[in-house]
This record gives sequence, C-alpha cells and structure tokens, in this order.
Amino acid sequence: MEFKFKKQIFGFMDLLRFKNMTKVRREKLASAPSTPLPKTYRVNEVAKILHPGNQNAVLKQITLDTEDTKTYTFELSKPMFFRAGQYVTVRCEADGGLVSRPYAVSSSPYQALKENKLSVTVKKAGFFSDWLFDNAKEGDAFTIGDPSGDFCFDSVRDRKNVVGIAGGSGITPFYSMAQALKEGSEDFNLTVIYGARTEKDIIFKSALESLCGNKVKVVYVLSDEKKEGYEHGFITAEIIEKYAGKEFSVMMCGPSVMYDFAKKELAKLGISGKYVRTEANCCGLRDVKHAEYEIKVHIKDECAVVKANSEETVLTAMERAGLKVPAKCRAGGCGFCHSKLLKGEFSIAGADKRRLADKKFGYIHPCCSYPDSDMEIIVPQG
Amino acid sequence: MKKYDAVVIGAGNGGLVAAIRLLQGGAKTLVVEKHNLPGGFATSFRRGRFEFEASLHELNDFGTADNCGDVRTLFNELGVTDKIEWLQIPEAYRVISREENIDATMPFGVQAFIDKMESYVPGSRPSMEKFFALAEEIRSAQAYTNAQNGKVDSKYMVANYGNYVRCGSYSVNEVLDAIKMPKKAKDILNAYWCYLGAHCDDLSFIHYASMVIRYITRGAAMPKMRSHEISLALTERIRELGGEVWFNTEAVKILTDKDGAVSGVVLDDGRTIETRHVIANCAPHVVYGKMMDNVSEEIIKATNARKFAGRGFTMFLGLNKSADELGIENHNYFLYDTMDTAKQYDIMKKIATNEAQATVCLNRAYPECSPEGTCMMYFTTLYMDDDWANVKPEDYFKVKDMVAEKMIARFEKDTGSKIRDSIEEISVATPMTYARYCGHPQGDIYGYESQYWDGLTPRLLMMAEDHKTKGLRFAGGYSMRLSGYSSAYFSGDITGRQTVGDIKREG
Repeated sequence: MEFKFKKQIFGFMDLLRFKNMTKVRREKLASAPSTPLPKTYRVNEVAKILHPGNQNAVLKQITLDTEDTKTYTFELSKPMFFRAGQYVTVRCEADGGLVSRPYAVSSSPYQALKENKLSVTVKKAGFFSDWLFDNAKEGDAFTIGDPSGDFCFDSVRDRKNVVGIAGGSGITPFYSMAQALKEGSEDFNLTVIYGARTEKDIIFKSALESLCGNKVKVVYVLSDEKKEGYEHGFITAEIIEKYAGKEFSVMMCGPSVMYDFAKKELAKLGISGKYVRTEANCCGLRDVKHAEYEIKVHIKDECAVVKANSEETVLTAMERAGLKVPAKCRAGGCGFCHSKLLKGEFSIAGADKRRLADKKFGYIHPCCSYPDSDMEIIVPQG
Repeated sequence: MKKYDAVVIGAGNGGLVAAIRLLQGGAKTLVVEKHNLPGGFATSFRRGRFEFEASLHELNDFGTADNCGDVRTLFNELGVTDKIEWLQIPEAYRVISREENIDATMPFGVQAFIDKMESYVPGSRPSMEKFFALAEEIRSAQAYTNAQNGKVDSKYMVANYGNYVRCGSYSVNEVLDAIKMPKKAKDILNAYWCYLGAHCDDLSFIHYASMVIRYITRGAAMPKMRSHEISLALTERIRELGGEVWFNTEAVKILTDKDGAVSGVVLDDGRTIETRHVIANCAPHVVYGKMMDNVSEEIIKATNARKFAGRGFTMFLGLNKSADELGIENHNYFLYDTMDTAKQYDIMKKIATNEAQATVCLNRAYPECSPEGTCMMYFTTLYMDDDWANVKPEDYFKVKDMVAEKMIARFEKDTGSKIRDSIEEISVATPMTYARYCGHPQGDIYGYESQYWDGLTPRLLMMAEDHKTKGLRFAGGYSMRLSGYSSAYFSGDITGRQTVGDIKREG
C-alpha cells in the first residue's frame, strides 16, 4: 500500500524536524552541568556489602569447641551481609601453596554487617582444616570471600516450619540460623535435629540452648551413647515426626551417608522433592589406582606445568603448585573455577553440575574434576 | 610491556562481537573481563535440576536460514551461527492490561498479526497496514544507511525514503495518532515498549517500528542451551582467530598520552597493557567517572546529560509441575496496569507500586529445557528510578522476597494459572545483583534511556561527533544502537569495524 506519511500540515515541516534532531541533541549534550561524574552509586554501594568480593581479614580469636573442632573469628575489613546458612571461602598460604576452603558461617548476619565480625567453625578433617588447627594463630592475615551458596531459608519457596538435620560439624549453618532468628535477620521456625556420636562431640551445646525459644528448638540424637535427655540412635522418621509433625521443609548438612538415610526416613512422612535441600560436600580424594600426570595451565599470558595425580582434583594440583586460581564451592556447583579444557581426559566427582553449553564447548570445573591423563587447560586468574 | 593493537574491556554481547571484528580485520586483540564468564547478562546459571536463562527473552532479528534476519547475517559473517543450536519462539506475545481490560495473544507474520488485530479491534486494519508499510520503509532506509556506513545522501533519502524521514523525528504515539490507529489497537501494538524501556510518548517511532517489524516478519529465536551458548560460541571464535580472553581480570584505568589519545590499559593486578585502541563495553559514566584522568568538560557535560534507563529485576522459578499442569498457556507475557505507557512508566518507579512484568515460560518454546514434569519461568521488570537505592542492606532480603511474592501474585491473578505451591527453585536478581555483576551504575540493564532527544536516529547520525577520545570507542547498551541483545551485537559490529578502520588509517 502506497501512502505518504504527513504529521504537520506541510510535509516539509516534518523533514525540517528530522534535520533538527542532531542540533537538538547537540544542544542537550552541551547544556548539561559540568559537575564531576560520580565515582560510585548508592545501589552499587549496597551491592558491595552484599557481595564484597575477596577481602582482607584478621584472625581475632580462636575458640576450642570440642577436642577436634575450633571456631575462628575474623575481623573483616569491609562489612558484609548474608543469609544465615551461606558459606564463605577462607584463604591463606599454607605449606607453600595458596589454599582456600569453603566453610559455613557460624556467626550471625548482623555481626558481619554491624561489627565486621565473622566466624567459621571447623572440624579437623583434612589438609587445610588440619593446617588451621595446628598453625593458625590470632593476628594472622586471611582472605575471606563472598557469602555464597543457596543453603538458606527462602520464604517464597519453603514452608515456614523448617527442620534442620545436622550431622557432626554440619551444625554450623544451623547455629548461624538460630542466631539470625534471635536477632531478627531471618524469620521462620527452626527445629534442629542434631546427630552426634556422643555428648562430648556436640558443638555449641550451651550456646544453642540459650537460643531456644519460640522460633528455635534443638533435639540431640546420639548414635554411640545412651543418655538421659537425648534421643538415641539415628535420625529416624519417628524422631522427626515426634518433634516436627508432618508439614515442614528440611535442610540437611552433614555427611552424605546421613543424607541417604534421612531421605528414606523423610519419604515415610511424605517429605521429598522441593521440601528437602542438602548442602553440598567438598570433593575430596578419589579412591583409584595412583597415577601421575602433568597439567599444562594457561593463566592470562603465562603458562605453567604442574604435577597432578589420579587421586586429587585438578584444582588441588594447581593449588599445591602455588598457582593463584579461582576456587569457591569445591563441589562442582558454583562454577567459579570454570576453565577451558584444551586437551586431556578427566572424570567428574558425583553429578555433573556444569551448564549445558559448558559441556558442549569443553569447559570444566577443576574443583570436581580428576585427571585421567595429561591435560592442558585455560584457567582464569584467582 | 605487553602490546596489543586493541583491548576490549568487557566480554559482554557488544565486546565479544567487537573482538571478532577486530581479529577479522587483522588486529592483535585482547579481551579483558572482570567476571569469570563471558556474555555479561548473556549467560545461564544452574539451581538444582534447572539451568536458568539469565536474561534473554527472545532474540530479535535472527530469523531462519530461509528468512534470514540481520543478526543471523552478522553471525554468519562472524562464523558462529553453526556453533549454536537454534529454536523458534511459537508466537509473538500475550499482553494483559488491567485498566483497559485487554487480554490479547498476537502471532508472528504481518498478515496474521493484522488479521488478529482486526478480530480484537474491528476497523483497525487500515491503520495497521499503514503501520507495517511505514515500518517496512524504515527497515529499507536503515539497510541503505548501513550499506553507506552512515554517510547517506539526504536527497536520495528524501526521494526514496520520504516517509522514513517525515516520521523520523516523532515518538511512537505521535505517529500512531497521525495514522489514526484506534486506541485499543495502539494499546495492543505498544506491548513491546518495555523491551526498549522508554514510554511511547518518549520512544522514537523509528526505533520501535524497526524492532516490531523484525519480530513480526522474522519471528524470534532462542539458543537451546540458553544465551550462555552464544557467549561461549563467540568466545570460541575469538580464540580460533588468535585472540586472547582473560577472565577474572578487571581493567581499572585507561591511560592517555599528552595529546589525549589512548595509550594503554591498567589491569587490576597493576600490570599495564600497551595499546592505542580500546573498545569499552561498559558505561561511559564508569569510563569517564572512574577509569580516566583529565576528562574534558565537554565530555563530562555530555555524559551528565544522559539518563540511566531501567534498573533490572528478574525472578527465576523452577517449578515441579509441567506448564500444562499449572495452566501456563503462553511463552511470553506482558502484564501491565495500564497501556498508558507514560503512566505505567511512573508506576514502575517505586518498589511499592511496580508489579508490571515481562514473563517467559521457556518450556512453551522448548519443552525439553527442563526435566519432564517440570517447567521454568522468569519474570522481569524494570525500575524507572532509584528506589532500590533506598533499601538498607538489613532490609534487602525481605524486600527482595516481598517483590517476588507480588510478582507471583500478579501473574496468578492476571493469567489464572497457579504456581505458588510448585516452586522448587527460586533465584532473584535485583538492581544490586546487576550492579555487582556487570558494574553498571544503579543496576541499570538498559544503558542510556531512549529519551525523545537521545533516541536511535540522532545517536546514529552523531556517531562520528560522539567519538571524542582518540582510540576510545564504546560498545553495548550505552552506545549508538541502544540496549537489547541484537542492538548490542550490532554495536560491537559497528564499533569493531570502525576501530579496524582507525588502526588502518594510522598505518
């Protein structure tokens, strides 16, 4: 259809207006104030508190909780706010390598926001936790990463009544949640069912009890000891129902054997799927025949060849060699160590949590990948 | 000192395409990206058994091999089309607006679109035909302009594209009124406005019409593996062509020499990279406000004159029932309070009032995008002011949850589907998330707003004039093509080719 568009009575006025557009814009650009451009913006400033990135922190206090568990309290250089249940990475130089591990925060969100104070509680159970236990002292410098992970209550998704099933040092995120409920930074009802071997293995016992009230209940289940005031055995459907009824969401933190057992018990109560969430565990040593490999690692325009072996993850091999590489969840899920594979074979611990396109274009998560041959990878700087 | 012909700061959509153009033009190129992934907002993330699309609702102007859109042509030239598996979006959109009682589902295809409009608004046909005739002429005029690299012969323009020139200085509503489109037809046609982020009294008609015609004639496409697939394909191509991409690497300073021309880039580890050409895939506010010293008063004024566009908010839901079970019928919904877009724009300034949303159920375009018996949705809105800056950190999570609840309630009420009890995974991105992720001021995701005076046409006409610093050009949503995926890709194409020209001229 042919038609002539005209807005003004005379079409040439429309043409003139078109011609004038650049003049109008030129004048607008020239007539704005010459006040200096902002260095930052309010939304960006709040974002820095929610996601402060890696920051320097000083170890202020070490508390012995049980014979093999200590709480390390840091003074942060920047305030931080997080959701109770989240973890941070703690990084420092250990035995010549730059090593980091993710630990659930065991202090409260407001302490990090208002007092720049943050604690993690760590059981002696591996290379870095052993190192911390034996070497870390007050006054030492550390790097603390962003609050991360989605092991936290979500009022849109979860039921208001939450059962927290904790095994051993898996109590730490729930201790943070209990404090958050008390201070008001979180709002839900938490029943912690805490499995430990014996009474003396219970971490935070008196602290937890002082937080009990309307919103927080704690039940202890001892597997290796029978004692007045404690449940005995494993965390069964019967025990869960006794303290929490049948309508709730579950969050679990502990060893994976506990998850397997508890999921079966929960299914008896009709609790499954979206109502059950578990915290991921770090990828440790792989139980295979020892074999030695070399990994060629490209970081920016530098290249290093590091020694690796079939039992350790690619990430561990790089850290051991002293390379500064990205590391966060160490469970293959967060994608922070996302690296491009150029050559070589590898296996993944547990479920493959990579994005679809990562598989297609050959990207790997070194934190959960074990070498099955020599490899060559491009890794972002850490 | 390490030396490159060009450094691209930011591996967003614009930066990635610019880098390929530089490499194709023979320039030794380094891309630095502060995040650990390419693409900027063009990415995906996993939660439980779902992989969510981070931002792309539907890629405009891509088309199919037989009905090739401009983005596909560009991707063919870049050598990436075949690295990506594509699928087509089934229908244009469903728009629901409360005030006017509108609930309209619009198809792709010009004839089908006009016919459907006639069924909703009897008597709208003549004005709709005029609209598409104008839009078609705009597209031809733009093709001519592009072919001339912006150096157009104005007499030729007036003679051959008279309507383009005559309607070119007006807003959407001014032109639709001039062609006497019935109000209800205007209301249905204007549904896409939130994709461009300026209301229809402000938004340039040329800009809007050229977007609509591309959607309606070429359909919309989606990469199967979310936009992350495009971003990785572009990254792959850069490496194939010998380019370098450094992730987790932030450029903190752009250095200039005594004549004010670019001489290098300082990285976050203190290293200086020597280069005479920088393509910044980020906001001029950030570049001139933070990354450069001795910025001229002229540039500061011109930067202060610009207005930030919408600040983003997206809620991602993984649902443990299928779209059929939940009664989610469509791929793409626009839910508004009113089709008075200026009024809607005002409602979208405040957290307390804004419930407008562009919502996608990806399974309606790609049923296999999530496990059987589940589906995925994402709900996007824009805030037209800095209300999120008033949220204190200690209230942040509560406000985020409150807005999420409101968006869900609005969707359920307006569409009749029930999703509230089937939420297995949820993730919410607020202006704070966007501010942190890409460093944009105030969590802006749409670059500089397409205000009446700062729309697409004057920006394109003034490209040469806006180039104030020798060796520094911009790509992405803040630059000459404005925001959106296809626009950002084109900005990278333009700016990459221009920089190749700059390098060649220097010899």
